[in-house]
Amino acid sequence: MTDRRRFEQVVLPHVDAAYNLARWLTRNDHDADDVLQDAMLRAYRFFDTLRGAPRPWLLAIVRNACFSWLRTNRPADIESLDERMPEDETPGPEILAARGVDRRRLNEAIAALPVQFREALVLRELEDLSYKDIARIAEIPIGTVMSRLARARRLLAESMRLVSAAPRLRIHK
Amino acid sequence: MKPEDTATSLHAYLDGELDAAKSRELEAEMAADPALRASYERLRELSAAIREKADYYPAPARRTRMPKPSFGLAIAFALIAAIAFAGGVFTTLLPRSSEDEALVASHVRAALGAHLIDVASSDQHTLKPWLSERLPYSPPVADLSLEGFELLGARLDYVGGQRVAALVYKRRQHVVDVFISPGGTSGAISTRDGFNVQRFARDGMRYSLVSDLNRNELNDMARLLETH
Repeated sequence: MTDRRRFEQVVLPHVDAAYNLARWLTRNDHDADDVLQDAMLRAYRFFDTLRGAPRPWLLAIVRNACFSWLRTNRPADIESLDERMPEDETPGPEILAARGVDRRRLNEAIAALPVQFREALVLRELEDLSYKDIARIAEIPIGTVMSRLARARRLLAESMRLVSAAPRLRIHK
Repeated sequence: MKPEDTATSLHAYLDGELDAAKSRELEAEMAADPALRASYERLRELSAAIREKADYYPAPARRTRMPKPSFGLAIAFALIAAIAFAGGVFTTLLPRSSEDEALVASHVRAALGAHLIDVASSDQHTLKPWLSERLPYSPPVADLSLEGFELLGARLDYVGGQRVAALVYKRRQHVVDVFISPGGTSGAISTRDGFNVQRFARDGMRYSLVSDLNRNELNDMARLLETH
C-alpha cells in the first residue's frame, strides 16, 4: 500500500478529533481551519514517525501547531502558562449540582478557561483520552494531567457559579 | 490520604485512572463520609454535563480528504524558489565567501519542503547512530529542547563537494540547520540573503548554524552547542 493510501486509512479518520481540538484551542473556525491544514500537511510529511495509536499521535501534531499559532498570534493566551500555576490541588469550595446547567453558559465557560486547562478538559471529556495519552500530547507528566484536570473542573464550576459560597470540601480523617 | 490528595483522587477515580489499591481506599473513605460521597457525585454530574452539552466541532468536509498545500502557500513556495534560483545565478556570477553561500543554499533548498529531513526524530540516540552509519565521522547530537530549540531530525547534505551532517532544529517558526563536519573554523557570524550564518569549532568539529532566526537567538544557540 502506498503511503498516501495508508495515511488516508490510518490518519484521516481522526480528522474530526483534530479539528475539534484545534477549534477549542484557537476558539474560532477560520483559525482552526488554517491550523488544521498546516497540521495535516505536517502529519503527512512526518507520517513515518507514527508509532502506536494514530489519534494521540495526530493530536500531538495538532496541539503543537495550535501552540505555535497561539505563540505568534495570541501570545496573551499562553502567557498564563509561564506564570507557574500552583499544580497541587487543595480542597476548594464545594461544587454544586451541574445537571441543569445551561448549554450556552457551559460552552462559554469552557472557552474562557486558560488554555492549558481547556486543553486537558477537551482531551479528557470530549476525546475520552487516557491520562497517558494526554500527557504525551501536552508533553507534561501524568501527575500534571491529573492536577490540571482537577483544576480545570474546579475553575469551570467556579466560573459557572456552581459552587457554594463559603463551605470548603469537608474531609474527616 | 491527605485532604488535598483525596480531592485530586476524586478526579482520578472519576476518570478511571486511580489504581486498584487507592480506589479501594477512596471507596472506603466515601462509605464513611457522606459529604465526600456527595462531592464525588457532583463531580460526576459536572463531567457528564460537559460530555453531554459541550460543543463538538467536526472537521469541515474539505479537510477530510488528503491534505494539499493551499494556493497561497504554493505561490509562496514558487516565489521563494524563484528568489533562491535568481540568488543562485547571481552568486555564481559574483565570487563571494563560497562556503556560507553553499550552506545558505542548502538551507533554502531544504526549507522549500522537498527535503528538510531524512530522519525525523527528537531523540539524539536515534539520530547519532543514523548519521554515524552514513558518514566517515560521528557528529555530536545535542538535545536543546529544554532551552527552547526543538530537534526535528537530521539529513545528509553535500556542501562544497563534501558530505555533511545537518541537524534540523526549530525555534518558534524558524528552522535552524546545524551543519557539522570535521575541521576548524574561527567563530564568526555573517548574513547572506537575509539568513544568518554563525560558525564555531569544538572538539575537532566545525559547526555552522544557518537560519532566518535573529542573530541574538542564533548566537545563544551556538553558545549552548559550544558548552553542551
